[in-house]
Amino acid sequence: MKICILNGDMTTEASHFSDYLRNLSFELNKEHQVDLFALNQMNLHYCIGCWTCWIKTPGRCVHKDDAEQIFRSIINSDFFIFASPVIAGFTSSLLKKITDRLIVLIHPYFKIIYGEAHHRKRYEKYPDFGLIIQHEKDTDEEDLQIIKDIYERTAINFHSKLRFMKQIEKDKIEDIINETCNI
Amino acid sequence: MKLAIFNGSPRNKKSNSKILTEQFLDGYTEICNEPTVVRYLADIKEREQAIKTFLDADTCVIIFPLYTDCMPGIVKDFFEQISGFNINKLKRIGFIVQSGFPESKHSVYLERYLKKLVSRLNCEYIGTVIKGGVEGIQYMPPNMTKKLFTNFRELGKHFASTEKFSYKIMKRLAKPFKLPLILRILLVIAPSGLVNMFWNMQLKQNGAWEKRFDRPFI
Repeated sequence: MKICILNGDMTTEASHFSDYLRNLSFELNKEHQVDLFALNQMNLHYCIGCWTCWIKTPGRCVHKDDAEQIFRSIINSDFFIFASPVIAGFTSSLLKKITDRLIVLIHPYFKIIYGEAHHRKRYEKYPDFGLIIQHEKDTDEEDLQIIKDIYERTAINFHSKLRFMKQIEKDKIEDIINETCNI
Repeated sequence: MKLAIFNGSPRNKKSNSKILTEQFLDGYTEICNEPTVVRYLADIKEREQAIKTFLDADTCVIIFPLYTDCMPGIVKDFFEQISGFNINKLKRIGFIVQSGFPESKHSVYLERYLKKLVSRLNCEYIGTVIKGGVEGIQYMPPNMTKKLFTNFRELGKHFASTEKFSYKIMKRLAKPFKLPLILRILLVIAPSGLVNMFWNMQLKQNGAWEKRFDRPFI
């Protein structure tokens, strides 16, 4: 199975969160092919809303940066993971920076899904994804529900499903591996 | 009321958020002549000034487009920065979230986050105005945007006199919450060329029509 992991940890020094993901990636790599992207070490630009990827060079972003590696990895993977510490009640701006850019993988045309307007597929299939987070000091149940609900909405627009949301404080690496392998 | 407006559109000064802000301020200044500062969060180099403006203001309105079901990355970056300060004055914060989707349902999940963010900042939440169907307003003839702009001017006027978003106008702007059945059916049965006219026109103008279904990453 091909697995892509996006690490949105913004800390520049060693961190428990990045260590956790490195261990997860190491263990998964024993049986699968894993691309682990440390976003804080990549040259990534913000989406500027120009829609070049929809109306000028369909499927290709105007920015020529490291994001292309991520686009290629995600669309060719069987499963991918958004991972980030919670900051100000949501996943990091670094992770959101690349998430905004993922519209390059979607087509601008509208279609109806669950009775709502959504963008149609550009590619034939899209991988389901998981979410791994680390609490901040004041993270509560309401925050967790908000995060989960928003990622479930993202999944609809990405023609996929949110398979799990794990918290590194509670969930062991082995459990994530088991769940990932059963997808 | 010392009002500051923060435009969080990645399109910066060419944004639909800017157009809506101008309409809001047109109405606002009819009632209140206190100067209002507008900051653009996409101007990363001017971020320090934006933070200072945020900390100084009594009332902040943050307007941005919905990006992948959430706030754009630059707006989240701003939220992370302001969360690092102890805000020791009673500040009121409201939001305007606009999107290209015709129905407002897409934005209500984010609204819960915005409300929680304001409580985390120990500030007063004054609401979130949600408006769908905003994409394309830059190209629309005046008769197509008249109602939208009137509503935003009225919203600004009401805000200047009451320091609140008008519930009535918010409700009006949020329509439709869900796509009406007839529109859903139409989107399914109508020819693609008709439904996607807006995109097709631009694809053709850019000479990209033939490549519209390209899949460069497989």
